[in-house]
Amino acid sequence: MIINANAPFLLPSDIRQHVSEALADTGIVAVRSALKAVRSLPNEQRGKTFRLGIVRTFTIETQIDILTLAMSALPCQIEIKISDLENIEQELLNPASDLLQWKPDAVLVLWRLDELLPALAFTPQVLSHEARLSAILALVERIENLTKGYLDVSDVPLILSTLPLPQTVDLYDLHDGSGRRHAVEKANAVLLNLVAKNPCFFLFDFAGWAAKKGAVAFDQKMDLYVRQPIAASAIEDFSLFLARTLRPIIFPSAKVLALDLDNVLWGGVLGEDGVSGVKISYDFPGNVYRRIQQRVLELKSSGVLLVLVSKNNRKDVDKAFSTLSGMPLKLSDFYEICANWEEKNRNLVKVAERLSLSLDSFVFVDDQAFEREQMQFHLPEVSILQVTEDPLTILNALELTWLFDRFRLSQEDFGRHSDYQLQTQRKELEQNSSSAEAFLWTLELRACLATVNEQSMGRVLQMLGKTNQFNLTTRRHMKADLQGFLNSPKNIILTLSLADRFGEQGVIGLAIAVAEGVDILRVDSFLLSCRALGRGAEDVLWSALVQKASLNGFRLLKTEYLRTLKNNQVSDLFDRFGMERLTSNQNCTEYQLALPCLVKSPAWITVT
Amino acid sequence: MSNKNKLFETIASVFNTDLDSISEVSSPDTVTGWDSMGMVHLVVELEKVFNVQFDIMEIADFHSVEIIKTVLTEKGVIFDQMPS
Repeated sequence: MIINANAPFLLPSDIRQHVSEALADTGIVAVRSALKAVRSLPNEQRGKTFRLGIVRTFTIETQIDILTLAMSALPCQIEIKISDLENIEQELLNPASDLLQWKPDAVLVLWRLDELLPALAFTPQVLSHEARLSAILALVERIENLTKGYLDVSDVPLILSTLPLPQTVDLYDLHDGSGRRHAVEKANAVLLNLVAKNPCFFLFDFAGWAAKKGAVAFDQKMDLYVRQPIAASAIEDFSLFLARTLRPIIFPSAKVLALDLDNVLWGGVLGEDGVSGVKISYDFPGNVYRRIQQRVLELKSSGVLLVLVSKNNRKDVDKAFSTLSGMPLKLSDFYEICANWEEKNRNLVKVAERLSLSLDSFVFVDDQAFEREQMQFHLPEVSILQVTEDPLTILNALELTWLFDRFRLSQEDFGRHSDYQLQTQRKELEQNSSSAEAFLWTLELRACLATVNEQSMGRVLQMLGKTNQFNLTTRRHMKADLQGFLNSPKNIILTLSLADRFGEQGVIGLAIAVAEGVDILRVDSFLLSCRALGRGAEDVLWSALVQKASLNGFRLLKTEYLRTLKNNQVSDLFDRFGMERLTSNQNCTEYQLALPCLVKSPAWITVT
Repeated sequence: MSNKNKLFETIASVFNTDLDSISEVSSPDTVTGWDSMGMVHLVVELEKVFNVQFDIMEIADFHSVEIIKTVLTEKGVIFDQMPS
């Protein structure tokens, strides 16, 4: 298999080709050569570093280079540490274990019935029915004790793999209620339940991958030789599947799906075929487009914002959507409808400005190669799904793309479409108000300051991981870091929630300030969600932080602005806040502020 | 390229060593990295390069380059009598 064309690979095309060929080859020589090519790239092109610890019951060592290569294509610089065989509890339940002391960003548990319950995996009928049932019960208890004990010693994301079915499953295994199949199903049900209940756990569906891959997933010869079950011919697929699973832990998912209309959401060209001539129905070929629309609607329901970009007259589009029956999508499902004759890239730039989102959160779908090329040329940061004029390629691209992957849907995801529509209404009101401040008074803004708690933890981590533009230091802290900050009572950690007369926006701001000795407080992170900009929310957060720091007896507040490619809009924020500039270079400006100090909060925001 | 050179080059590149250091008598005792994990890489690479499949007991007997050469010959790979 060649690298999935819809996977988000940002490597230069020649290196990408090299990686793709090496993954298809799977031989160590080709893989080493491609890894060397990737490692010769400048650091910034190789992506973030990510430390993955692996505990396992079988051999994977010789295949780690291929996994490293698959991850490098994301791009991501992965470092992998593998524990000794079957040292799962020893590594995961002891905070002083080699693996946990190595400070991984995530830990993967790879296991299978062959080692977890060898008697049941190889000679089930030698055991009595009762003995088999009690063995399965012991396995379930082992998984529950492991995960429960792990939470006591670590909050590093734990990625639990499901158990694939053993290669041999006899018919009686399926019928006696205590066979191999039963054991695997029971263990996997427990694992599914665990990840549904605890945000620290994630699922790697090893069983699902193996079932889809079939018998060629495994190689009994190498399994018996060195206990390496995954076949050489399947390791590329396995590695890409694992890379896909890890990706949402490392990268934010795309937020906007920009869709062409003609020959994408229906068959035919509206301007030429007319409303009665376009194909959308329950029967072939209109059913293909119906399925595409259903998939788009599903993505919208998971928090993806839809934008229509079509070279058509707006009134024709309105008429078609109101006339055609059997359309899963309604015009109201789109955050914005760009039905005009402008270049599509120009339309997307305007939409991105209105949404206050960067273009790298956009995914574009168009059946016309010209439109895709034009988009790629003008806006290379937009992800473009590789499709052809065959609508099945569009359906498959929307079904298989990694770009919108996320593990869990938050309340913000479910409400994103209406949140952004409310934001548009606010902007319209802004345009109608005589002055900026007069407009802000009309919003009836209410802010609520709090510290991080169980309810807001997920959202805070999401903001730390995703906020780019209004982020002074862009430190991507993970849960363990945040917990560390929270554990010290001298540190000040504030979240800011905002509401206005249009509705609640939830947690939109975060400040983390860390005590350095008795007198000095250092602002480690200061960030605001892009949907809350322009209201003075940052002033409320800053005012509260300075006030609390003063009250807590600190004498000096220190911080810095760390420049990234995306946070230029806040390059002078600390100057505006009245801080004293100490040093400044291209990447970093250091500031300080003597305390106690009183900073005024905007009068148009009521703070509770 | 002769099959003998192909064999030697494959072994040298899998174990990241000089081609000159590989000969018929090379074995796990003389080549660094030729342990059971190294053997997994070698088997995958040889099966690909020579388009053959080894039986599990054949792998168990891979104690030298000479033996690998013999097994490959049995599978139809022709080794010329070229001076090395």
